[in-house]
Amino acid sequence: MMARCLARFLVSLLALAICNAASVSHPISDSHRSAALDVFVPLDGSYKSLEEAYEALKSLEILGIDKKSDLSSGTCENVVKVLASPSSALKDVFYALSVNGILKCKTGEDGPKDIVSKLQAGAKDAKLLLDFYYSIRGLVLVKEQFSGTDLTLGNAEAIFRSVKALSQSDGRWRYSSNNAESSTFAAGLAFETLAGVISLAPSEIDQSLIQTVKTGILKLFDSIQKYDDGTFYFDGSEGPISTTASVIRGLTSFAASESTGLNLPGDKIVGLAKFFLGVGIPGDAKDFFNQIDALACLEDNRFSVPLILSLPSTVISLTKKEPLKVKVSTVLGSKAPALSVKLAKALNSKGSSVINNQELKFDADSATYFLDSFPKNFDVGKYTFVFEILLDESANEKGYITEAQTKVPIAATGAIGIENAEIAVLDSDVGSIESQKKLDLTKDGVVSLSANHLQKLRLSFQLTTPLGLVFKPHQAFLKLKHESQVEHIFLVKTSGKKAELVLDFLGLVEKLYYLSGKYEIQLTIGDASMENSLLSNIGHIELDLPERPEKAPLPPLHPTDPYSRYGPKAEISHIFRVPEKLPAKQLSLIFLGLIVLPFIAFLIGLTRLGVNIKSFPSSVGAATSALLFHGGIGAVLLLYVLFWLKLDLFTTLKALSLLGVFLLFVGHRTLSNLAAASNKLKSA
Amino acid sequence: MMNLSRSVALISLFLLPLLSFSFSVDNPTDRRVLVLLDDLSLKSSHSIFFSTLKSRGFDLDFKLAEDSKLALQRYGQYLYDGLIIFAPSTERFGGSLDSKSIADFVDSGRDLILSADTSASDLIRGIALECGVDFDEDSSAMVIDHSSFSVSDVDGDHTLIAADDLVKSHAILGKTKIEAPVLFRGVAHSLNPTNNLVLKVLSASPSAYSANPSSKLSSPPQLTGSAISLVSVMQARNNARVVISGSLQLFSDKLFRSGVQKAGSPNKYEKSGNEQFATELSKWVFHERGHLKAGSLVHHRVGETDEPAIYRIKDDLEFSVEILEWSGKSWEPYVADDVQVQFYMMSPYVLKTLSTDKKGLFHTSFKVPDVYGVFQFKVEYEKLGYTTLSLSKQIPVRPYRHNEYERFIPTAYPYYGACFTTMAGFFVFSFVYLYHK
Repeated sequence: MMARCLARFLVSLLALAICNAASVSHPISDSHRSAALDVFVPLDGSYKSLEEAYEALKSLEILGIDKKSDLSSGTCENVVKVLASPSSALKDVFYALSVNGILKCKTGEDGPKDIVSKLQAGAKDAKLLLDFYYSIRGLVLVKEQFSGTDLTLGNAEAIFRSVKALSQSDGRWRYSSNNAESSTFAAGLAFETLAGVISLAPSEIDQSLIQTVKTGILKLFDSIQKYDDGTFYFDGSEGPISTTASVIRGLTSFAASESTGLNLPGDKIVGLAKFFLGVGIPGDAKDFFNQIDALACLEDNRFSVPLILSLPSTVISLTKKEPLKVKVSTVLGSKAPALSVKLAKALNSKGSSVINNQELKFDADSATYFLDSFPKNFDVGKYTFVFEILLDESANEKGYITEAQTKVPIAATGAIGIENAEIAVLDSDVGSIESQKKLDLTKDGVVSLSANHLQKLRLSFQLTTPLGLVFKPHQAFLKLKHESQVEHIFLVKTSGKKAELVLDFLGLVEKLYYLSGKYEIQLTIGDASMENSLLSNIGHIELDLPERPEKAPLPPLHPTDPYSRYGPKAEISHIFRVPEKLPAKQLSLIFLGLIVLPFIAFLIGLTRLGVNIKSFPSSVGAATSALLFHGGIGAVLLLYVLFWLKLDLFTTLKALSLLGVFLLFVGHRTLSNLAAASNKLKSA
Repeated sequence: MMNLSRSVALISLFLLPLLSFSFSVDNPTDRRVLVLLDDLSLKSSHSIFFSTLKSRGFDLDFKLAEDSKLALQRYGQYLYDGLIIFAPSTERFGGSLDSKSIADFVDSGRDLILSADTSASDLIRGIALECGVDFDEDSSAMVIDHSSFSVSDVDGDHTLIAADDLVKSHAILGKTKIEAPVLFRGVAHSLNPTNNLVLKVLSASPSAYSANPSSKLSSPPQLTGSAISLVSVMQARNNARVVISGSLQLFSDKLFRSGVQKAGSPNKYEKSGNEQFATELSKWVFHERGHLKAGSLVHHRVGETDEPAIYRIKDDLEFSVEILEWSGKSWEPYVADDVQVQFYMMSPYVLKTLSTDKKGLFHTSFKVPDVYGVFQFKVEYEKLGYTTLSLSKQIPVRPYRHNEYERFIPTAYPYYGACFTTMAGFFVFSFVYLYHK
């Protein structure tokens, strides 16, 4: 489990390490300050618990951000409430006192006495490490905050022994006597508790007891974890940041409480400082507090104060002729004592040293050490600079320590000369030059070439470093891009002085998928050390390749452009069938008139012939049936008109059948009357 | 409060049988997200990203990717609505989780944010491959760009890319333009050309390539230029959304806070575009933007209000549909000018762009074609970054009835005239014939 945890942490730290470009640490800066305001944002004006309030206030105090006035009212109310209540837990009392130490709330005069007796009782009855911790540290806080309070820890030595009884042989501590699990985090708490006991004790604690604790501390340092870049940390179930911070807090207060001094390995202390600085800016409030608090402990302690060498920039531009700047400061970014910085070695990528033992100049205004002149043989490339810090004797009383050597990866960049760029089409068999063109790669040239599959394309150029040496770039690609978006990349390899690429199209036809047509030529040259990296559209080449055989592979698909795939489609509107062309209405009316004409002519003709209806029956019966007969004919004709206008066939037929029967009857009567009349006439 | 939310949940359980659906149109605010980390310190180093999610109401559940109790579902019910995998190095998930169950999770309409990084494990590559994204096979390769790197002082190998080739879509990246370049350090990927659901959101510049920065190239790199995608998104057919990033650092507090200046550009930005980019992208992936909902298709004849059972050819009809967009809190009217309706039978007979009243109602009117048969009103709306709307409603169209043709055609007047004059003549003649003396 531990191993897996470690592996996981290693991965993340490696990611951080990559992110920080190897192991350059930077002291706490303004970015931490601005981040702190985001991280320690109270919810609705106050923090959830006094513990959180303490962590926020402490971190902000260390970073020098004054937010006390905004927070004091609500938080102080809580502090006073906890201190006045007899039922508050030891933990709450401890954090209330911690917050009070920062905010200086107005607590009642009779407060301390109750609290003191409570804490003293707590210390006396404690069985668990945390109870010892809260009560003893609480008493220390009372001593600091309320002068003149009666504080005696009569049984100091007994308490010291019972805390010490929880320690393990490997320097770690247990939380309680009946729990066998030991933890490094607990060791830190124990050191703080013991430091409290020493400072509260009325008489000196037995030196042999203190000595055993000191050997315990050294044993604890044997279990320290290490990274390759000289970073050290303590690991534990609480996570490396919390655990390491706890140990550092414990060591600092332990070293402060006793007089003989701790002798801790300096490189490990610097390594611990680098660990906290390498974490970056934690987003978690707890981690942030632990980082800042631990760094503050390292900044001001009685064993050794680490100094951190940092570089504002690890990239040297040879064209800009900027000096290489180095800063040395404490972990929280305050000024370092008088010292000198030496560039011991500058190793190039082949491992040979270019610069040896050069002392950096000091600029007092910006507190920067700088190297302004580089030797003549200093070329572009990647280097590892090895710095050494030499402390002046006079400044050494505070116990400053530094890394023996700080290795910093430096990249020197410069403008690379590009010369003799040429592009040519060669005849394959003879090698004679068909067409050759000089190129200016800084401009997008419009070279237009043409070649067939029996020819070759040759591109060559020379790259030189500022010192005139051959430069081999990491990226030197020639890209041929067909109209159909099929791309081909070729590496331009450097051999001798020249970078040259020869494309023999005969061997490439398959790779080019037998695609004839226009290819755009694009040349990309780039390198981390090259300031003038370029992407140049040289022009285009018209390739005439043989027909694609059936079995040859097809060119790969290309993702469709998302913009063209979506979007509205063209509208479609239905084309209606054109109605048949009809003659004009007037024409129909004219023909209607013509059709009516014969009828009129018929009527006129009848009158001209002098027709009469003199034989219309005169008797009432015969006249009635004649009228009914003609009425019936009229009705049938009217029925036809109605049929035309609105009636349907069924109604019409029904009516017609009735009318028909009626007509038959009256028709027969009428005709027989007429026949009888004419018979009478004949016989007369 | 607890009781209230529980009773609300209970009521909604009864009302909504589809509650378990990830982005349910009925209950879109219920969002539980599982965050898988390969190291719990990521929680702290990427805290800004996580806290923006929390502040938008997401319930984040952080778990180690190797946690043996990992499970996405219990008793056939999914426990989460979204999944964030920030565990590039994990070779095997703990518990019952594997790449298949993650594919099932997406298939059920749920959302995924997957971040790989240099030396991403085969597991992470496999999940990305399912979504149509191929990471560079070379595990030591990173995206390098010697022309558009970030002028960052600590970096000398041009692997911190300042990318500004963003997809032009308000739906995916929000209406506010991302001014500052987005910082990226990680692994390149390309998109599967046969998969048309996946698209690049952040692309590399033409001078970029994917290679190991510390070793010389012996063969041309597999991925170069703008074919390299840095961050891609996929929207499945069921509207499940997936974000795949080649860089985990892109989401980190460090890059969120860091300033950026692109090489060769005079513009210096106080803050990189990462925070805006990641926030907007997370809004998209969790359906806080670009999720459309349509009401039913409404149509009727001009001048009427009721929907007819059948149309006659050449009828004039009015068509309307209401489309709303989810804003993260409420359904807002959707405004666009490219929603189209089709009047469809085997192929579209009419395709018309709808006009909007800016209140979410899209409408148009057109004449039914003079072809009869069973037609469909179809609204098939696909827009970059938006969920796909596919609505249809069937409606038959009949020809004219016999009595619906024109009745008295002027051209036939001579025929009518002939009939009636003949009839009148007959009537007169009957008198003359019978009674003449």
